[in-house]
This record gives sequence, structure tokens and C-alpha cells, in this order.
Amino acid sequence: MSLKEHLRLLTFVGLVAVLASATACEEPKRADPRDAVLADFAKRVDAYAALRNRLADSVGELDPTGSQAEIATRATSLAQAITAERNAAKPGDIFTPEVATILALLIKEEYSRRSDPVQETREDQQEELPDFVPRVNQIYPTTYPLATFPPALLPLLPSLPENVEYRIAQNYLILRDIEANLIVDFMPNAVPSGA
Amino acid sequence: MKQLFRIVGGVIAACLSASLPAQQVELPLRPGSVRFLVLGDGGTGDTPQYEVAQQIVRYRQRFPFTFAIMLGDNIYGRERPQDFEKKFIRPYKQLLDANVEFHAALGNHDDPNQRYFKPYNLGGARYRTFKKGNVRFFVLDSNYLDPLQVKWLEKELAASGSDWKIAYFHHPLYTTARRGPEVELRAILEPLFVKHGVDVVFAGHEHVYERLKPQKGIYHFTVGGAAKLRHGDTRKGPLTDATFDRDRSFLLAEIADDALYYQAISRSGNVVDKGVITRRGTGQRTP
Repeated sequence: MSLKEHLRLLTFVGLVAVLASATACEEPKRADPRDAVLADFAKRVDAYAALRNRLADSVGELDPTGSQAEIATRATSLAQAITAERNAAKPGDIFTPEVATILALLIKEEYSRRSDPVQETREDQQEELPDFVPRVNQIYPTTYPLATFPPALLPLLPSLPENVEYRIAQNYLILRDIEANLIVDFMPNAVPSGA
Repeated sequence: MKQLFRIVGGVIAACLSASLPAQQVELPLRPGSVRFLVLGDGGTGDTPQYEVAQQIVRYRQRFPFTFAIMLGDNIYGRERPQDFEKKFIRPYKQLLDANVEFHAALGNHDDPNQRYFKPYNLGGARYRTFKKGNVRFFVLDSNYLDPLQVKWLEKELAASGSDWKIAYFHHPLYTTARRGPEVELRAILEPLFVKHGVDVVFAGHEHVYERLKPQKGIYHFTVGGAAKLRHGDTRKGPLTDATFDRDRSFLLAEIADDALYYQAISRSGNVVDKGVITRRGTGQRTP
């Protein structure tokens, strides 16, 4: 074996030793306790989505139509079907206290990072929703606008299946079925007071 | 008696038309150009909406556009079938009968189920893109700009090889009106628009007409006065190129090759702003 080959061998052995010791020293990855809560939230949301999709199929698919009556009838039928299946649903079924704590913290942190112009815009948007207190299985009041959802907040919240969305009204975070225009669940005190 | 009513009616109509300004179309009407109407916040069903609609019909006789872009708040308040009749079908009947296509964006007063309303051409989606001639339009839902929509937009912008790129949605990224610009939306959208060469942005929400100085190379128009009005709401400042907040308004636009000609018109038919802007990469961008 030449000197060059010796050196190559030594380098290789050294590298293997360093890698082995690094792996040995690596601490086992600690599980984030929030992961289990968020996984549970995702499971609950998915269960809702599966239910509403099944009911949407039974009500019938909606293709673009020139008849607003058809669109309205379909939304009403879907909302009625969902409400009938979820007649025992209550606040916190999806936004459990555990996930609510996590989401409230995320929202609080995001709100605390707002610049003054952003804060003013959001306050203006909330002024469009006077005296609105949500209930589970309530049709989102059609006389009120859907306040614009803060776009910087959306990427921080857990993603939702198609046809379910977040909305904020006053200090409530609402889970809304888009096609049925139905309040699926809501979380009080989600938005920091005075924000 | 009937005859008398006819005569009186005719005299009244003649007096009214004499008091109205002539429809002064100062757009070039080039053969093969892309001509369209821009209107925002129109769906009240009240008299001003109908009067604006009538003015649009009059202008269309001289400027035959084939489609309209709607900047949201298409239907205010309840959205029953009779509301669609009163707030969309009836006021724009003459345009619909003439096969003018309406391409709507959703506003904060609009139920997202409007995406299923065929005359709005959303095809069941909250955001979409379509092409007319050498122009690619990007219709966004600024009420709910989720990561999925942002990803979609970036992909579509990158794939667009069109000469002109026009984005439109409800909330203005720049405005001097009372409620102010949507700075959060701007932080997300503007870098994409700049990166992919968007030329013009149309928005509504503020019930005024505004044309702002180009921001990072992009022209911003607020056209939110097709029915509602916030009288005296704009503030003249370094951003402003032109404003009109004394009456309702709409905009006519024509794109011919590298030039976009525009003309903003009041409910009474007066031209309140006009000009031409050029496409990115073709030299001077200011009017």
C-alpha cells in the first residue's frame, strides 16, 4: 500500500468515526406536544369534510347555472342535511379547548406583529360585522359581509379541506362550510381584545 | 289620451337627452383591439346602479365592448333569486341581451357560491384566469387569499406568455380613500406581480374612481363606484394621478398592441379621466 493509499484509508476511517460519534451524540427527537393536538384537530375537520361531502353527493353536484334559485336551493338543502346529521353538534366539537389554546396563541402572536396600517385595516373590516354572535349550525347571516380574512394569518393556521374555511367575526374564529354557508364550529376570544 | 301621453313622453325624453352630455368616446377603436368595461361595487339594485347601467349602454353604442370585468360586491345584501334579478339581471339586461360577457371577481359582500352563477363566468372557482386577444386576465379572491391561491397564482403567472397581464380583485393594494390600502395583501401579491410582469391592477371596494401613479412599475386603478359613492373620500397626494369622487363612475378600456387606452365616465356621462399607458418593456410607462 502506497503512502497515498494509506492517507486515503485514514481519512475514510476518520470520517466514519466522526459520523458515528455525531450520530451517537444526537439527542432523540422530542415530540412536540402540539403535534398530537393538531393531528386531532385535522382528524375532526376531516371527519366533518367526509360527512359533508357524502351529504353533498346525496344533494347532488352543482354545476355552474344561470339559475340563482337552483344555487340557493342546493345551498339550503345541503345546510339542512348537514344540520340534521349534526343536530347534537356543540361549540368546541372541532375547536376543542386544546386546539383552541394553540390557535389563540398563534393568532395572538400574529396580531402582535402587525404594523399600525394593518391593524387599522383589520379594525375597519371588523366594523362591518356589528353584533354578530355565531352559533353552531347557524346559517352565516347573508346580510353581513364576509370580512376579509387576514392573509398573513392564513398560512399559520392548520390547512382545511376544500369547502371549509376560516372566518373572523368580531373576536370569534369561525369554521364555515362554504357551499352550505353554515357555521360548523366557532371559537370565542380567538382574536385578542382591543386588537 | 294615449296620443297625448306619447307626445308628452316624447318631449320629456327629448329634453332629458338634450341635457345629457354626448357620449364622447376618445378611445381609438382600432380593428382587432381588446375592448372591455370595468365596473365595481355595483350590486345595490338602487336607482344609481340603474342610471350607471343606462349610461354604460349609451356608451356601448359608440364603443362596442364585448365583455365586462366586475371588481366584486356584485350583489349587496341578501342573495335570493329576486335579488339577482334586481341587482344584476335587470340593470344590465341590455348588455346581457347583447351577449356582453361578465367576468366577476368576488367581493366581501358576495357569497362565494356566486362562483356557480353562470353569467359571472367563474366556472365554479373562486379565482381563475382567462385570455382575450393578447391580454391575460387573473381574477383573484382577495377576501380569502389562502396559500393554495397564492401558489396557483404564481404558477399561472409564470406560465403566462401573454403580452399583457392584468390582475383584478376586490381590495385595492393602493388607494387614498378612507378605508385605505390592503397592505397585507400587497405584501403577498405585489412581489409576484413585479416578478412576473403584471402591467395593470384593477380593484374596487372603495366607492370612488382613482388612478394612481405606477407603483413598482404597475398601474393601479380603483373603480368601485358603479352604484355606491363615498363622496369626497379620496385624498390628493403623491400617489394620486387622477381621482373622481363626486358621483358614480365606470371605466372603458381598449388594448391595442402595446397600448392600453382608458376613459373613466361619470353617471351623467362626463369623461372624468382618460389616457393611455404602455405595456412593460416598451419604454416610457407614464401616461
